[in-house]
Amino acid sequence: MPAFLFPLLLAFAVTPEQAEFFEKKVRPVLAAKCYDCHGPNVSKPMGGLRLSSKADTAKGGDSGPVIGTSIETSRLIRAISYQDPTLLMPPRGKLSDAEITDLTAWVKMGAPDPRVDLPSPSPTVITKSIDYERARKWWSFRPFKVPSNTPASGYIDAFLLNKLHAKGLQYAPPADRRTLIRRLSLDLTGLPPSPEQVALFLNDRAPNAYLRLVDRMLASPHYGERWARHWLDLVRFAETDGHEFDVEKPNAWRYRDYVIRAFNDDLPYDQFVKEQIAGDLLPNARTEAPQGTAMHFLGEVINTPVDPLQSHADRVDNQIDVFGKTFLGLTLGCARCHDHKFDPVPTSDYYALAGTFYSTRRRQTMVNSPLEKAAMQSVVNAAALRIGEPVPSGPAEELPKGYRLFEDFNDPAMPGWSSTGFAFHKATSGGIVDSTRLHAALEGQLISDEVKLVERFVHVRLRGSGLVRLLVDEYNNKDRVLSGDPGKGFVWKKFDVRMGQGSFAYFVLEDTDPLGGIAVDRIVFSENPEPPDHRDPGPAISYRTGDVQLPPGAYALTGWDNNPHNAQINIRGNPTNLGTIVPRGFLSVFAGTDQPVPIGSGRLELSETLFITAKPLLARVMVNRIWKHHFGNGLVPTTDNFGLSGDRPSHPELLDTLAQRFVEGGWSIKKLHREILLSRAYQMASTQNPIAETADPDNKLLHRFPIRRLEVEALRDSMLAVTKSLDHQLYGPSILPWLSPFMDGDPRSKPKPGPIDGLNRRSIYINVRRNYISDMFQTFDYPQPIATIGRRNVSTVASQALYIMNGEFVAVLARRWATQTASMPGTIAERISGMYQEAFGRSPTDEEIRLGVNFIQTHNQGWSDYAQVLLSATELAYVR
Amino acid sequence: MSGNNHYRVANTRREMLRDCANGFGGLALAFFGSAEAAQLPHFAAKAKSVIFLYMDGGPSQIDTFDPKPLLEKEHGQPIKMKVPATQFNDVGTVMKSPWQFKQHGQSGAWVSELFPNVAGCVDDLCFIRSMVADNSEHTSANYMLHTGFSMQGRPSMGAWTTYGIGSVSQDLPGFVVLNGGLIPAGGMDNFGSGFLPAAYQGMLFRQGDMPIANIKQREASSQLQRDKLDLLGKLNKGVVARLGSTSELDAAINNYELAYRMQSAVPELTEISKESPTTLAMYGINEKETEVFGRECLLARRLVERGVRFVECLAPRVSGADRWDQHRNIFKGHTDNCKATDKPIAGLLKDLKSRGLLDETLVVWGGEFGRTPMAQVSGGQFGRDHNPFGFTMWMAGGGIKPGLTYGATDEYGYFAVENKVHIHDWHATILHLLGLDHKRLTFRYSGRDMRLTDVHGEVVKAILK
Repeated sequence: MPAFLFPLLLAFAVTPEQAEFFEKKVRPVLAAKCYDCHGPNVSKPMGGLRLSSKADTAKGGDSGPVIGTSIETSRLIRAISYQDPTLLMPPRGKLSDAEITDLTAWVKMGAPDPRVDLPSPSPTVITKSIDYERARKWWSFRPFKVPSNTPASGYIDAFLLNKLHAKGLQYAPPADRRTLIRRLSLDLTGLPPSPEQVALFLNDRAPNAYLRLVDRMLASPHYGERWARHWLDLVRFAETDGHEFDVEKPNAWRYRDYVIRAFNDDLPYDQFVKEQIAGDLLPNARTEAPQGTAMHFLGEVINTPVDPLQSHADRVDNQIDVFGKTFLGLTLGCARCHDHKFDPVPTSDYYALAGTFYSTRRRQTMVNSPLEKAAMQSVVNAAALRIGEPVPSGPAEELPKGYRLFEDFNDPAMPGWSSTGFAFHKATSGGIVDSTRLHAALEGQLISDEVKLVERFVHVRLRGSGLVRLLVDEYNNKDRVLSGDPGKGFVWKKFDVRMGQGSFAYFVLEDTDPLGGIAVDRIVFSENPEPPDHRDPGPAISYRTGDVQLPPGAYALTGWDNNPHNAQINIRGNPTNLGTIVPRGFLSVFAGTDQPVPIGSGRLELSETLFITAKPLLARVMVNRIWKHHFGNGLVPTTDNFGLSGDRPSHPELLDTLAQRFVEGGWSIKKLHREILLSRAYQMASTQNPIAETADPDNKLLHRFPIRRLEVEALRDSMLAVTKSLDHQLYGPSILPWLSPFMDGDPRSKPKPGPIDGLNRRSIYINVRRNYISDMFQTFDYPQPIATIGRRNVSTVASQALYIMNGEFVAVLARRWATQTASMPGTIAERISGMYQEAFGRSPTDEEIRLGVNFIQTHNQGWSDYAQVLLSATELAYVR
Repeated sequence: MSGNNHYRVANTRREMLRDCANGFGGLALAFFGSAEAAQLPHFAAKAKSVIFLYMDGGPSQIDTFDPKPLLEKEHGQPIKMKVPATQFNDVGTVMKSPWQFKQHGQSGAWVSELFPNVAGCVDDLCFIRSMVADNSEHTSANYMLHTGFSMQGRPSMGAWTTYGIGSVSQDLPGFVVLNGGLIPAGGMDNFGSGFLPAAYQGMLFRQGDMPIANIKQREASSQLQRDKLDLLGKLNKGVVARLGSTSELDAAINNYELAYRMQSAVPELTEISKESPTTLAMYGINEKETEVFGRECLLARRLVERGVRFVECLAPRVSGADRWDQHRNIFKGHTDNCKATDKPIAGLLKDLKSRGLLDETLVVWGGEFGRTPMAQVSGGQFGRDHNPFGFTMWMAGGGIKPGLTYGATDEYGYFAVENKVHIHDWHATILHLLGLDHKRLTFRYSGRDMRLTDVHGEVVKAILK
């Protein structure tokens, strides 16, 4: 047949024989071997080539046609014949000879293609035209507006008093020193001041005594513990995945410590934000910067979803939602199904961000100190020298029919795998990957790219005590783990993934054993439950140990870029109804509609673009959060919504001045605290004045300091501190929550119970388990870790009083405090006086002493009961 | 926004309305304390309370209330229709019901021999045979059923109810969940308050005399506890007298007195020995198989009598069965589950009716989905997989048209094909009967006015009286 007829034939009718040949011999091969990268469900087909429709196959990819006009010129044949080292398809392993023969015969026939293409998905989302020029004038998007006559100091009071005076109101009188130190201590450290701290401040006659107190409090390491907790509310911090089994998110606690350190070190806010978005990618970043990226992965993960596509879309939606609200105060989730109803955010902007998150995955990263890592590296260097360079092994062994190779580790460069730690150093490969090849003492993890699970069984030929995990749809199933047989060489083990067929999954090879490790020869997919061969496992390996002592590997939950690709619009939010592909990028209203295409996931570019294009909004949102925690309400009450449906600022000039100074001050959060705390507004009393209460009933104008209940963490920590139980230790793995006998949850996810007093650690160190939130937290308005919460609910319910009256925790602490008090010298009245100092930072009144003495005497030295009454007092739970 | 910390001396009009609705004014606060309720009912309510008999795990519609002759005919054959992926994706051939169906009552409703006692009440029931849900898997389906959203952390329908209409009871929570020994997949989030104030979360009552945490006084003598609370009251009031107060602070102080009263109200509630022997027998409390669910049903009646708005009865633990979730051995599992619940449910319906309470109490029966007409086989024991595409629930009392069978599934009983009722519609209907417009019962969160029905739901008018 003359070569020039080939293209014409493509358009002509296909004979029934040709159609049968295509359906039996060609389509199954394309579907099984090519569709993962060139199929209908890949949002960005590799090389721009799709083989899943007649038209796309005929059209070819970025490099032009693939069928070609002859066997010699056909790129398809060149690729599958594995002759050109730059063009080997499928990349994971050569097709069988029979398959190659069939495809070659098909191309020879002129590639007759009987497929009938459905109309290609055309975008039915109509993006209304958004007037971005106009949208950028929205108060929270536009540049700061600071009146030219704003004084450099005292501006906070000037702006506040201006509004009060207009209503004929004034500030309440200044608060006394005892009130002030209690307020400040609870606000900045979440702990009541000790009697010694109170005495120090009361006796400080220097004119700048208050300023020095503020600085002492800001310098306390407990400041970070307090303010990190506010931040954790924003990023729905939890250490488990939720859903049925509530499996661990390993090392999520390191993110909590990272945030505490960031606040204590006064890490500039812009840096803090950038690290959380892209800490693993930032040039010249701090060593611990990658740990910030755990932020993206603290949400719920569903195990074995029936609809994995939907489940992944839901995870990405949560990531976008938290990103938008936390940093920008924008409810971006609204644009998932339709253009945002209020804000200038088209659906395409949502999927521009979605592409970035779809291209970002979670993993564990080794975070040992530089010193420890140097010790590990020296072991690698010494061993590599001894072993020399690896040699690639010969061509892949033929697999029996019905088996599909995923990996044989024949290429020492290990394309498609990424490692952390030192055990899976690149040079260890070559036919097998072996975490002990350099030295058994080395640890690490090797993580594969994602692969779609098609067949029911995954066979792994492995050796050693280390682990091979298979994570399907990000679900870290603790039972989906393989390991070698003791005393044996390579053995075949398998995963049954029936419930995960059609899902995306990845492998993690894990070596945490200083005396052994894990070696894998091949990973093969098959419908057949039997392994592809029954080779002799060979002898077990005995390792050289004892000559090297290395510290154990430390890991953190982090993000990493994997398979960067653009997302397709999900029409009406339906992940199976796909519209146009949107390039990865940031919101058009800020960054314009013509943004450069990112190289990786786009997180690095996003972290930069944010601060170039949306700086005023970022600053306003954060300044408002800080203000909210100092005064109980934000200048913008809707702390997480600065869009058109959110509240307007009560004092716009004040907000803008604070925000501008925040930026000019190098995004220092501690400087911002100082400015606010030194205002007269912060130092006034909470005394009420009937005229002001009538004129400003919600205290929106701040005519007095508000009276507030402590958050549950501060309440619990106060009780620990007052009863001298508190362990001041910072950082570290979380303490399991105590389980009251009444905590009936899903038994499949019930953890081991923790100690009643949480080892006396601060509340921020109590393990946050989605399905088993500590009972005290649950009772006192702890936020569900599902989305950004900038402002918690405060409710008063009977179960709170019951918890304090009859609960075990308060009783334990009351007994401890009573025991200490009962053993103190002095009269009953003197001891009562001491308890008042410890609990409330003040002396009791005569009446309070009389009531206390009377109670102790009537109830036969009932110190424990008396202590419990003081712990129940509203004076402990409320700050004024 | 409500529920956050803002302080006032004067009560707002809305708070006053709420306090009056709760039966008392001033600063005394009901179980809800200072958490703010939405508003008074949007229109006259047909039902004052809801009792939800939750059949955890998904009972089979084609073995209980939706007979399908075609299953007899094609028993053992491959199903002749396209079927979607099921949870376990290993369903086999069509399986007929092992139970016989008969028509009952004047309404002629079909009930299988599994529910002989409920069959005697069919003229009070309205069967919806065309229920549709979104999820094929328990946890997500439970969240959908309870919260209208298939992910964790949204307010439960009981929370929405109490947020919407408050509670009449001063010393009991407005939303009570009675535990029969099985917590559904998804855990306590099925009964949570989500983004609503914590006051509205369902309170789980265990079986026995001390059903909730911290309800038992620690003190050896009641006098000691009274003295402690008196001392606490004096100390608290002394402080606010010197430094000033707010409504929130007053509420927190009064909260201890409410808690004190609850300590006696709860044991009084669970003390059922004063019920007549006839009543106890009607609920099956004196029989081993029916005792657990019988107690739940009786407590449900006692709770609604005391003004509790929303009571959910969880499935009793039946030995040898995992809830209603019979992927295998459906014969034994469904037989045992029905045995455990049939008599208590009939007892509840009759008892409510004889006391004149059924008119103002909406009783709802159902699970998170139904089951497939095809068999799952394991070890020679036959079961059925999950089916959210068409299943049966029933409602009774509280403004529901009695003696009606509404909607239909296809000939296999697989897909709802006539008058489909989605969970969102079912929620809208429940709220409607409570006097609440599901589109107006909103709470501002995440920049949106959130609803139990999200952006969906239509009241099923055809089943209303």
